[in-house]
Amino acid sequence: MSAQPLIVVDNVAKEYMRGSERIVVLRDVNLEIAAADFVALIGPSGSGKTTLLNLIAGLDQPTSGRIWFDGLEISKLDEARLARWRTNAVGFVFQFFHLIPVLTAYENVELPLLLLNLTARRRREQVLMALDLVGLSHRLHHRPGQLSGGEQQRVGIARALVTDPKLIVADEPTGDLDHVKSGEILDLLQSLQQELQKTILLVTHDPAAAARARRVLRIDKGTLVEDRSMHSGRFRLFEWTVQ
Amino acid sequence: MKALLLILKNLRRNKLRTTLTALAVIVMVVLCTEAATVLFWVHQHVHTQACQSKLLVSERWVAPSCIPTRYLALLTHQEGVEDWTLWNLYTGYLDTSRQSSRKGFGLATRPDNLIAMHLGLEKLDPAAVEALQREKTGAIVSADLMQQMNWKVGQQFTVLSSSHPHKDLRFKIVGVLPPGEYVRNFFFRQDYYEEGTGNKETITCVWLRLRDAETAQRVASRIQKQFQHSQPELKVETESAGVARFVSREQALLSVLKWVVAVLVLDMAIVLSNSISVATRERRVEMAVLKVLGFEPVVIMALVVGEAMLLGAVSGFVGAALAWLSSTLAVHGFLPSNPATRIFFSFPIQAAMVLWGALLGALVGFMGSIVPAWNAWQVKVSDVFAKIA
Repeated sequence: MSAQPLIVVDNVAKEYMRGSERIVVLRDVNLEIAAADFVALIGPSGSGKTTLLNLIAGLDQPTSGRIWFDGLEISKLDEARLARWRTNAVGFVFQFFHLIPVLTAYENVELPLLLLNLTARRRREQVLMALDLVGLSHRLHHRPGQLSGGEQQRVGIARALVTDPKLIVADEPTGDLDHVKSGEILDLLQSLQQELQKTILLVTHDPAAAARARRVLRIDKGTLVEDRSMHSGRFRLFEWTVQ
Repeated sequence: MKALLLILKNLRRNKLRTTLTALAVIVMVVLCTEAATVLFWVHQHVHTQACQSKLLVSERWVAPSCIPTRYLALLTHQEGVEDWTLWNLYTGYLDTSRQSSRKGFGLATRPDNLIAMHLGLEKLDPAAVEALQREKTGAIVSADLMQQMNWKVGQQFTVLSSSHPHKDLRFKIVGVLPPGEYVRNFFFRQDYYEEGTGNKETITCVWLRLRDAETAQRVASRIQKQFQHSQPELKVETESAGVARFVSREQALLSVLKWVVAVLVLDMAIVLSNSISVATRERRVEMAVLKVLGFEPVVIMALVVGEAMLLGAVSGFVGAALAWLSSTLAVHGFLPSNPATRIFFSFPIQAAMVLWGALLGALVGFMGSIVPAWNAWQVKVSDVFAKIA
């Protein structure tokens, strides 16, 4: 593990105005996350965990405080520069998969690569590699509607991986899946962290999902209340994992 | 290329909505193309073709005008007059049904300088003029009348006169006028008019061609002065002024037409805007996902604008192409002549209008997509996902 943390959250607060009422979602959050760590962010609904994830992933800006990612202060970037930064640095996995329904699995995974200056051949190589990694090489030309929930989430993970980002954020990635599929997706995320040295930031309500992480952060009423290191979760090398 | 593919796939997402939107735009572009063609024709006629050096002399206070024939020599011998002709209006029914839709408007004139003295006859076959000079009862008939009455060159027809009661005249068709300028008219010889109607005393109007516009102005004021206190008094105007006066009578109609075009364009923009707005609203989450993946707001906005412009351009192209095709078929006699198709005869649509239709569609697409594109720009990732959660 690198001594230099990948992510530094420095005294961050986030507030919203609802009419004339000020809503404080996060207050005085200080946090460091090392590269290649697997961190679970847990807490009750409305505690601010998704807001913190959005801030770390550059989807939103803090009201005060600073956020550093790999030495770059992302809390200073404007929307366009943040968008460009996200393409390279962060992969997103959503609870409801959020694949584009008119595009095939291949095209969905290819989407983030369209923003990079890559040749068609290079794009194809990377898409095939990502889909192979999640075990969907045989479903390239299927649309989301033709895939099961678990397969759709694997496409979502392949899309998150395809630009080779350092950080993968997953917001309740198993929330819309049954127990078996959830286990498979968590296995997959865990293998990405261990095999490909990706930093995983997982937001979850599910204690079983949180137990896979090496570090668990609990947030309540906008404040970090617990920071716990865990044993290494179970790890299984799947047949589809790249050698 | 990939963006175009994504736009096409988005348009195919809801085929019924895309088809209905396209149909609405096609219909409106057809109407717009027709209206724009009429306006263009009128503008060109008044400001470009109509001649400043040609004078139209008619009776000042009476319509239809009746100028004594004895004035003719005084008018045509004015200094600066290079050529002249006259008209005598001869109106009547073309068959025994005596329906107003089957009325013709004959213009008795000099055959020798027919082409030179008449606007819009530049493309008239000189052989038809020669035939008119040979055949005293000859008539050169508008394409519209030929089509409507199903006449052929060489055939004879009788006009049951309404302007000259009991003076029905029989004509032999010796040629067809070029489409566009003269819709329900036919030209025939002045000497046959005089012989057939017995009217050698009056003429409807006189056309004088002068050296230039300046001479025309000078001669016009001289004639007005000369005939100021005569009975009847004369009115002189340039051809362009005459056409403009004719057009001014239809000014209200033309103004309505301009408003119709504006309303149609606005209507198209609203239809497209509505359709694209619905599509954008349905895809808010997808747009948020694209933003999450790194697509800049301007790219997402461009996708929305591109979708509307592509739909507008293709629909506009199809609409204008249909209008042009109808016009071409009508002019070449492949469409029956009736009030619905007559506009195609009168105002032929140019092939270039097809490109105009595509551009208009694209422009309307752009206008219609401004609000939805702005909404797409404004999509806030955290808000969208918060609502889903």
